[in-house]
Amino acid sequence: MAGAARTVVAGTAEKPPGRISRIAAHMRREWQIYVMLLPTVIWLLLFLYKPMYGLQIAFKDYSLFRGIEGSPWIGLEHFETLFQNDQFIRALKNTIIISFFTLVFGFPVPIILALMFNEIVNQRFKKTAQTIVYLPHFISTVIIAGIVITAFSPSSGIVNTILGFFGLEPIYFLTRPEWFRPIFIGAGIWQEAGFQSIVYLAAIAGISPTLYESAVVDGASRWQMMWKITLPSIIPTILIMLIIRIGNLLEVGFEMIILLYQPATYQTADVVNTFIYRQGILNGQYDLAAAAGLFNAVVAFVLVMSANAISRRYSRTSLW
Amino acid sequence: MKTTTETLHGGRKSMHRLTLSAALLMGAAMAAPVLADDHLKVVDTPLELTVHMHHERYTSYDESWPVELAAREMTGIALKDATIGSNSKESREAFNLLIASGDLPDIVGGLAIKDNVNRYGPEGAFIALDDLIEEHAPNIKAFFDANPDLRKAISGADGKLYYIPYLPDGFYGRGYFIRQDWLDKLGLEQPQNVQEVHDVLVAFRDRDPNGNGKKDEIPYFARQWEELIRLVTLWDGRSSGSDTYHDFFVQDGKITHPYIGEGYREGMKNLAQWYKEGLIDPEVFTRGASSRDFLLGENLGGMTHDWFASTAAYNDKVSQTVEGFNFIAFIPPASVSGVRMEEHRRILIKPDGWAISFSNEHPVETIKYFDFWFTPEGRNLSNFGVEGVHWTMVDGKPRFTDEVLKIDTSVVNQMYAIGAQIVRGYHQDYAYEEQWTNQIALDGIKLYESGDYLIPDFLGVSFNPEEQAVYDKYWPSIRTYMLERQQAWILGTGDIEADWADYLATLDTMGLNDVLTVMQTAYDRQYN
Repeated sequence: MAGAARTVVAGTAEKPPGRISRIAAHMRREWQIYVMLLPTVIWLLLFLYKPMYGLQIAFKDYSLFRGIEGSPWIGLEHFETLFQNDQFIRALKNTIIISFFTLVFGFPVPIILALMFNEIVNQRFKKTAQTIVYLPHFISTVIIAGIVITAFSPSSGIVNTILGFFGLEPIYFLTRPEWFRPIFIGAGIWQEAGFQSIVYLAAIAGISPTLYESAVVDGASRWQMMWKITLPSIIPTILIMLIIRIGNLLEVGFEMIILLYQPATYQTADVVNTFIYRQGILNGQYDLAAAAGLFNAVVAFVLVMSANAISRRYSRTSLW
Repeated sequence: MKTTTETLHGGRKSMHRLTLSAALLMGAAMAAPVLADDHLKVVDTPLELTVHMHHERYTSYDESWPVELAAREMTGIALKDATIGSNSKESREAFNLLIASGDLPDIVGGLAIKDNVNRYGPEGAFIALDDLIEEHAPNIKAFFDANPDLRKAISGADGKLYYIPYLPDGFYGRGYFIRQDWLDKLGLEQPQNVQEVHDVLVAFRDRDPNGNGKKDEIPYFARQWEELIRLVTLWDGRSSGSDTYHDFFVQDGKITHPYIGEGYREGMKNLAQWYKEGLIDPEVFTRGASSRDFLLGENLGGMTHDWFASTAAYNDKVSQTVEGFNFIAFIPPASVSGVRMEEHRRILIKPDGWAISFSNEHPVETIKYFDFWFTPEGRNLSNFGVEGVHWTMVDGKPRFTDEVLKIDTSVVNQMYAIGAQIVRGYHQDYAYEEQWTNQIALDGIKLYESGDYLIPDFLGVSFNPEEQAVYDKYWPSIRTYMLERQQAWILGTGDIEADWADYLATLDTMGLNDVLTVMQTAYDRQYN
């Protein structure tokens, strides 16, 4: 903060004196907006920037009692340990696969949902349907996992009951590595798609009605209006959401995985965060966990930078 | 420096008083309730000590616990709660938070502190207690003199003692339970060996013992899927060396892991077969903690391996809905080589207890206070609660009052609520549990007592920093791999006979030998 203030003062020395009064006038006029911004800035500093100081333990032999300063530097040893561990490599691979498929299958669903809601004419039906698809978002992950475990139970689960109607043998889904990802990704979509569609509904609501009115005059069908007006109008929103999603690509919802996985399904289910949890947190190896987390964050950073650059190049829509 | 000398002098005086009165007490005073006198006083002027005490069931130290108030009265020392992380149920997490804050209260206690005090003690966070015990804690000293192996088991890598442990009492934890009424109905006897277990489970599966006309019985079930792996003992394998699952064990003075043994291989091969035949709960890996409730309540489960008291209690709960319900313990079936073994037992010493932090200015008073809980009065107080309120002396033994025994809440929960049976460093008295344990459980325990089925526990080792680094680097991944293969073999997605050589080779490349070597070094240093 102090640095920023100095720059402003230094800047004013060379510039015509009019600038400082311009800033003062601006602040007098707009100070409420800055006050409103303040809590977020403080939150960012306290909870996101300050903890970054602790990232250095990834390069230290960290002891809780000695503290961050008191622990000796050991360079890249933790990273070497990680990359020598086949289970970390496997977790990394699983993270990328799960994230990729979550994006491919999960990203279009809320858009489609929003478009569908937009086409519903009966307001009452629309409201009810929306509420129903939002609801799973508000249910705790533990309960969702319980529902999933019950639904896929080989003896009493609804899925196996339905399979039974077709004369199929029950499958013990949650111990089968090949079934873990579809179940996990499916449950995630079921839980979040409705809530995520709100953003797109808001974007659709912002489209000027005159576009539709003139389309009707031109004799366009509803289908054509959706393709030619609604969808193109929300493309910027879609791209921003996509970039944000890519930034969070490696942040797999690991609480859900911990609740659903078994040693039998580690092969496909173990992601970086669950690996960190088992190896680092449960065993008190915070330094190693920090190294794994830092690596994860660096990859995510590269991904979001690339996505942003690509988006700016081809659509002139970008985060910054 | 000055304060330390002063406290030392003051301490010595009251120690004389303490030993003298303790000696008197041993002789005659036991029979009559000891009224408020000064013989247990640790300090003349009341002293306050801060305490961190975290357990998943009571996440802070309640200063108004009747037991704390009574102890305050008897010793003159009052504990002030300074627990960090009370909003979480994770004791290890709370402990880590406490250490990271750097500001330690006088006493640090709670669940599973052993590894941490032995790690941070040598770094300077906790005081070594050996000299203090020698000079000021006659009762603790007497206990450890009588049990030198327990002392070795919880000492740090430097051979020093950093905490006073919670010492459970009673030997028997889990046993084999079977639906005796099903056996009777099918005209079968309790299975005496592994072949008979198989036959009984097949009969449970095929002959509709619950009589509902459906083949829905679950012959063998377990609340923890690890209790399925426990059955490898029937093929002379091992599933764990202690009351923690998947633990190492000691074989002829050598540390080894159960999951690389021949008996384990043979057992897993057969258990996979049993699973395939439908003798094991097909949902054993996901049914979880409520499986016993569900499978017994719905009249589906036939046999399990679980805790005596809580399992026997189902006879009271379920007999109202399931006619003739009779779920009783039977002696461990003989293994293929004829050995009857109960692998699970109550561990003799817990990683729970309390320690003295480096910032404590009254270590002598604190160790005397710790010692108070090892006096007969202190032990009774921490086991049964306050005399005259929660229990009375009957024929020289503490007996819970009717109010305690008759209330709907379990005695354990009542004890937690008054500050008894919490994980301070104390010696449990099994008599507290015996008084309200269901007769079927007591009969089961008696049955197990009649034979010599228990085996010694592996009580763990303390690593020095270099050993700890090796263990931390390799063990979590090895354990993960072992469990993955274990479940795969049971579920039939892998074939243990075909995989075994590969499995051992992989463990080798993952560093199992390094782990075993550091464990052996630590073990030899600690126990020999």
